[in-house]
Amino acid sequence: MWRWRQPEQEGLWAEALAHADALHNLARYLTGNAADAEDLVQETYTRALAAAHQFTPGTNLKAWLFRILRNTSASLYRRRRANPVVGGLDTVTPGREPRDGGDWLRGDLELDRLRSVVAEEIEKALMALSDEARTVVLLDLEGLSEAEIAQVMDCPAGTVKSRLARARAALRLRLRDYGS
Amino acid sequence: MAARDLLIDHERGRLASPVQADLEGHLQSCPACADEAAASLALSRALEQRLPQHPAPIALKRRLATQWSGGSAPRRRVVSLRRLLIPGLATALLVLGLIAAGVFPWSSGRADPLALLASEAVNDHLRVLERARPLDVESGAIHQVRPWFAGKVDFAPAVSFPGDADFPLRGGTVERFLDRQAAVLVYARRLHTVSLLVFRADGLAGLAGITAHADAPEIRTVRGFHVALWRAGELGYALVSDVDSGELRALAPRFLPAR
Repeated sequence: MWRWRQPEQEGLWAEALAHADALHNLARYLTGNAADAEDLVQETYTRALAAAHQFTPGTNLKAWLFRILRNTSASLYRRRRANPVVGGLDTVTPGREPRDGGDWLRGDLELDRLRSVVAEEIEKALMALSDEARTVVLLDLEGLSEAEIAQVMDCPAGTVKSRLARARAALRLRLRDYGS
Repeated sequence: MAARDLLIDHERGRLASPVQADLEGHLQSCPACADEAAASLALSRALEQRLPQHPAPIALKRRLATQWSGGSAPRRRVVSLRRLLIPGLATALLVLGLIAAGVFPWSSGRADPLALLASEAVNDHLRVLERARPLDVESGAIHQVRPWFAGKVDFAPAVSFPGDADFPLRGGTVERFLDRQAAVLVYARRLHTVSLLVFRADGLAGLAGITAHADAPEIRTVRGFHVALWRAGELGYALVSDVDSGELRALAPRFLPAR
């Protein structure tokens, strides 16, 4: 059985700690406040330490830590948090989902809007998404592949692709609304 | 697959060369898909460049470093990190590791976050016992001891037990508890000392998920001292003494606020 604390694996310890910023960023966006985010990250590392023997060397440590964080978040905070989802698991308010050739702002108008969006607006738009949608957007931003995100979220890679597309579409819709 | 379904993979450079070439050719000839690609790219840029980032606070990183090195941290291991890490990170971890080695003398094995808190509580209790000078505030009256902490700790220690004939209140002091301050109320039990540590609970992994309440505290034994741990709202409590653990278990509910 592989142990994290074997001397030859010392570098992995440092690698795990090097992901603290990314983990905290996701935790902050999942919990919505600083205190819970810190608790969540610390609990994530505690669980990672306890489950170190389950980590497979050569696989993506960051994705493994994200998975633990996501599961920990579900167990610790799901009941405590008001879910901001408006319209179910996959993000978009019913009846307002973008359609092909539908109600998108096209061309220069939407581009101008996206290029001028400010931090507060994009953060607000992201926080308005469901936990699942917010997570998939943030994991994509972290550079995880669809397969790695699928590992984190315990779903097929194809589901990740569709969730990411729908989450990004919802973001565009909300950012368009802020500009109108 | 529709062109718009490939746009994210296109941005990320994840498409095979022939597919990428086909898509780029299509974008040249299809204004709708070109608009879609530009909007998708603009959204990605906005997320990458303007979404606020929330890096882990330094204090959290310090706690994580001590947590990692706490389980079985021979000092040579921490020193050897220098060979493996970039110098800045290695130096930071080395310093934190040495701090941890001094603060957390627990043995090897799976980390028990509550055991770590209990160990630190015992350290504080020993500092109370060993101090050469009197307590910072010596009084048997809770209404004199509790206000004394105002301005000395960044929270109001919610302690209602005023002491009694069995556990007379002796006074209070402030001690360091991991990366924060603890208000310490000192009681007596016959010839024994009982220390109650009150501290902010946020960010302490051991307290994050426990349901322990003063009615049924978590009990740990460290170096012969018993520690009763519980959480009430934003505050954590550690009751430490060498009296029987059953006495601590019975005493803990008396610190509950009056109902």
